[in-house]
This record gives sequence, structure tokens and C-alpha cells, in this order.
Amino acid sequence: MSIEIKGVNKKFGDFVALEDVNVSLPTGQLTALLGPSGGGKSTLLRIIAGLDAADSGTITIEGTNATTLPPQKRNVGFVFQHYAVFKHMTVAKNVAFGLEIRKRPKDEVAARVDELLKLVHLSQFAHRLPSQLSGGQRQRMALARALAVEPTVLLLDEPFGALDAKVRKELRDWLRRLHDEVHVTTVFVTHDQEEAMEVADEIVVINNGRVEQVGTPDQLYDEPANDFVMGFLGEITTLNGVMLRPHDIHLSLTPELAGAAEGTISRLLRVGFEVRATVLTDDGEEVTIVLTRTHARQLDLETGVRVWVTPAAGALTMPSLAAAAG
Amino acid sequence: MASPRSTAVANQSQVVKWVLRLLVVGYLLMLVAWPTAYVVKHTFADGFTGIQDALADPDVVHALKLTAQIAVTAVIINTVFGVGMSLLLVRHTFIGKRALSVLIDLPLSVSPVVVGLALVLVYNGRFGWFGPFLEDHGLQIIFAKPGMIMATCFVILPLVIREVVPVLEELGDDQEQAARSLGASGRQTFLRITLPSIKWAVVYGVVLSLARALGEFGAVKVVAGNVGGETQVATVLVQQKYQNFQQETAYSVAFMLVFAAVLCLIVVALLRPKESQR
Repeated sequence: MSIEIKGVNKKFGDFVALEDVNVSLPTGQLTALLGPSGGGKSTLLRIIAGLDAADSGTITIEGTNATTLPPQKRNVGFVFQHYAVFKHMTVAKNVAFGLEIRKRPKDEVAARVDELLKLVHLSQFAHRLPSQLSGGQRQRMALARALAVEPTVLLLDEPFGALDAKVRKELRDWLRRLHDEVHVTTVFVTHDQEEAMEVADEIVVINNGRVEQVGTPDQLYDEPANDFVMGFLGEITTLNGVMLRPHDIHLSLTPELAGAAEGTISRLLRVGFEVRATVLTDDGEEVTIVLTRTHARQLDLETGVRVWVTPAAGALTMPSLAAAAG
Repeated sequence: MASPRSTAVANQSQVVKWVLRLLVVGYLLMLVAWPTAYVVKHTFADGFTGIQDALADPDVVHALKLTAQIAVTAVIINTVFGVGMSLLLVRHTFIGKRALSVLIDLPLSVSPVVVGLALVLVYNGRFGWFGPFLEDHGLQIIFAKPGMIMATCFVILPLVIREVVPVLEELGDDQEQAARSLGASGRQTFLRITLPSIKWAVVYGVVLSLARALGEFGAVKVVAGNVGGETQVATVLVQQKYQNFQQETAYSVAFMLVFAAVLCLIVVALLRPKESQR
């Protein structure tokens, strides 16, 4: 195990940011810390990096107890949400910073900077200032800068949070490919479940300062430990007192299946290729159903139409009592 | 297409604009430009002879040298202290921070004469709190250079801090944290990241303090002995010469003080555009 976090607690005044957090993050993998804003995931990352100190508990990085080490002695690479570029230095100088601090020979630094700029596709911008780069380019530069010192672990704090949707998606794919090339143990923080599931080997779901579940994206999606994880990883709706995903509901215009709930479509919303239908059942439940545009057109759906809804075969369901209690 | 009415409004706002301009220019002319120009005119009434005569007087040369010495020393002390203080105020939280922040502005509101008197009370060699002790150990403060430097330091105290603090606040500590995570020590982070980022604020603060230190009169006059050729600074000399009916010399020295201050501003103005071009 590359990073061992044991019994970590952190408070900011009265606010409990982390409560008895225990996690092991495996070597060489890409792990996502996923959770809602203010849930404590960034705090945990900053504690791993040494930028914040835990009130109690220990952090072990590759077998070394790092709990009391200052950040510059931990050999971690950190990438910030807002890039934290050194504004007065050129792109090449930014990347070279960590190496120059370590007093490496000049030609070695130059060679390594060249190599890294190639890796992040910024070779032609080596002599520009960061202010002349776009957001995505700045973040790639920040990544190269963090990788330059050959960190034991690479920590990314909402690395794509400040970028627009398209660039975000590109960088996400790129990060995954980069990790497959470089294989450095990587931990990144995100509140975007799609990003976490697409990129990470393993996801740690954190909410209210506590770890809710740890597992691969598939495990989390298929076997959520509780209703919070289920709700956070994707949309949910309730039908006949169970929680399930809106796309796991079968909808028909005739009572085909036994136990189907009858209702009326109260609202139809089209978003691109999908259609979200809200069905008000005769039992008084409001069920959300997601179908493809094509499917909706085949059924000729309109508001006010009578429909029968039932969980599709193989759908993941969870008793919604938990939701009521939680 | 502009309707007649909106044209009338436009004409009216044109008039207002010109009146306002005239007012501002006139104000500055009466208050700053004319009196300064008058000093220059009197200085060069007989060509360069006025300045040559002034510089032939050993008291004048000594006063100018002393002023330069005191100003430079005080500015160096104030720069180191000011940058350190700014970092403390922006990057750390501690009890009494707001009180300290208010205290730093004190020299702006207190009359320099009061500052001088306070220093005399504390450090004079006969009945001051520390004065006799220090004097016994061979360090005279009041009526000597150390006192004059201290008075100047007090007066220029807020100038660097007030320039640097807003820049530090706007900068945030992201870059410093990034540097730390890349292995830089506190000192390396300061020299390589923080200092280059606040460089221009520091330069401005230094120029302002230098200009202010050169022109300081009240506080220095109280703590200095004002003995010509020994403890008399240029500003005090100007006053003395003027009262002794040596107007020519007074004007010449006054001009040199103005010239030094303007030179400071010009140097900064020349350095500045290079930065924004890069």
C-alpha cells in the first residue's frame, strides 16, 4: 500500500472536516476521492500533502511515517484547482522549479523539462509566460511541474474544476492515458461522479467527513453500500417503495407485466438524446423515468397519457426506507 | 441618429467635462506647479551660480550628505521591516493582529513633531527611560544620527507595508504552497516566488519612503541638534538659511530636494513599462 491513512481527524473551529478516516491507497493506481463540496475530500488531500495538519491520526507514504513531515520533505506532487502557476516564470522555468530547488545539473534539468513538456504537449510554449496559455494548458503545465520531481504520489485537487466542459472531458481522457504511461500513484479529488468513474481505478466516497465506501467504479455503481453512495453515483427515483435508477424502469402503454404501477405522465423534458418523463402513479408516487428520444417517439409519449411502469429486469434496487430514515 | 435633445445633453456634458478639467488643472497649478516652478526660477535666476555657491558652502554639502545617509539607512531598515511585517499581517493569524494593523497607520495621523518629542522623552541622555543607560555604554541617540534615523523610520513606517499588503492579499498563497510541495524551503519560497511577485509594490514603497525621508522636517528637527555641519539635515538648513536672509542658498537646496524626489518618480516610471511589456 502506497498511502496509509489511519484515524485521521480534522476540525476547523466547530466544523468537523474529517472524522476518524481510515483508508489505504494502493501503489501505482489512480484513485478518486469523490464526494459533495464541503465533504472533506480536499482537506484529506491537503493533509496527505502536508499543506494542512491533521488534529490526530497518522499518514504513511510508502512506508515512511509522514505525519509530521513538512510538505517539502514528503516528495509529493500537488496540482491545484486554480493551477497556482508561478506567474513571473516561463513555462519551462515553472516546470524546472522543483529540479532547480534540488540543485540538479543544468543539462539534466533542461533534458527533463524538454521531456515533460513533450509529455504534456506544451513543447512549443516553453518560453511563454503562463498568462499566455489557456486554462487547460496551464493545468497541463502544472501537472508537468508536479511530475518533474518524480514524486512518490501525485495529488490533484479538483484539477479540472475550473475548466469548461469540453476541455474538461479532453483532459480527463488525457490524464487517464498519461497515468497508463507514467504509472505514478495518483490521487485526485472530484465532486463529479462521471469524472471519477471514467478515470479512476478505485473510488473513495467521502461525505460529511467520513468514508462512505471504497471500491472500483463498477462495485460502487452495482453494489452501493448505502443510499448516499447510490444517490451520489447517479440519479435515483422511487417506485413501489424501492429506490432505483430512472433508466432502469420499464414503461409501457398497456399493463404488460404483473405488478406494474399505473399512472399518468405529468411532465416530459427532452435533453439532447434523452427524454425524462415524470409519472404520477395512482398511489401518489412521483417517478422519474429516462428513455432515449427514439424510444419515446416509438411510444408516442405525451403529457396526460396513461402508462404502466415497472422495474426493468436486472435493475439495481434498494429499499427506500433507508432514504426515509437517512 | 441623435435627436436635438440628446445633442443638447451631449453639448452640456461636454461643457461640464471642460469645466471639471479646468478646475482640476487650475487647482494643481496653484497648489503644486506654480510654487515649485517659482523655486526653480529663483534657483536659476543667475544661471548655475546659485547652485555653485550653495555647493561651495561646507555646511550645505554636509547637510545634503547627512540627509542622504539618514534617508538611505532609514529606507533600508524600513524595507526589511515592512516586507516582514506585511508577510506577518497577511499570511499569519494571531491575537492582536487588527490592533497591530491600526497601529501601523499611526505615523500617518500623528504629527511628526510629536514623534520627535516622544523619542526625546524616551531616549535622551539625561532623564529618558533608556537614554542614560545607552549613553553610559557609548551610544548617543538624541542629538545624533541614531535618533534622526529612528525618527525617519517612524515617519515612513506605513509606506512600504501599505503598498505590499494589498498585493500579497491579492496574490494568495497558492503559489507559495505549490513551491513548498515542490520541495522549496521557506527561504527559497520567499526569494524565488513571493519576492518576485511583490517586487513592484516594494519598489513603490521604497520610492515613496525615500521621497518622504528626504523631505522629513518636524520629527528630525526635534531629535537632531541642528548644529550646522554636524547634525543639520537639508530641510532644516533650508529653513535656517531662509531665515538668515540667504534666500539664494535656500532656494538652491530646496531645488535639489525637489529634484531628488522627482528623479525617484521618473526612475520608477521608466522601469515600470518594461514589466508590463514582458
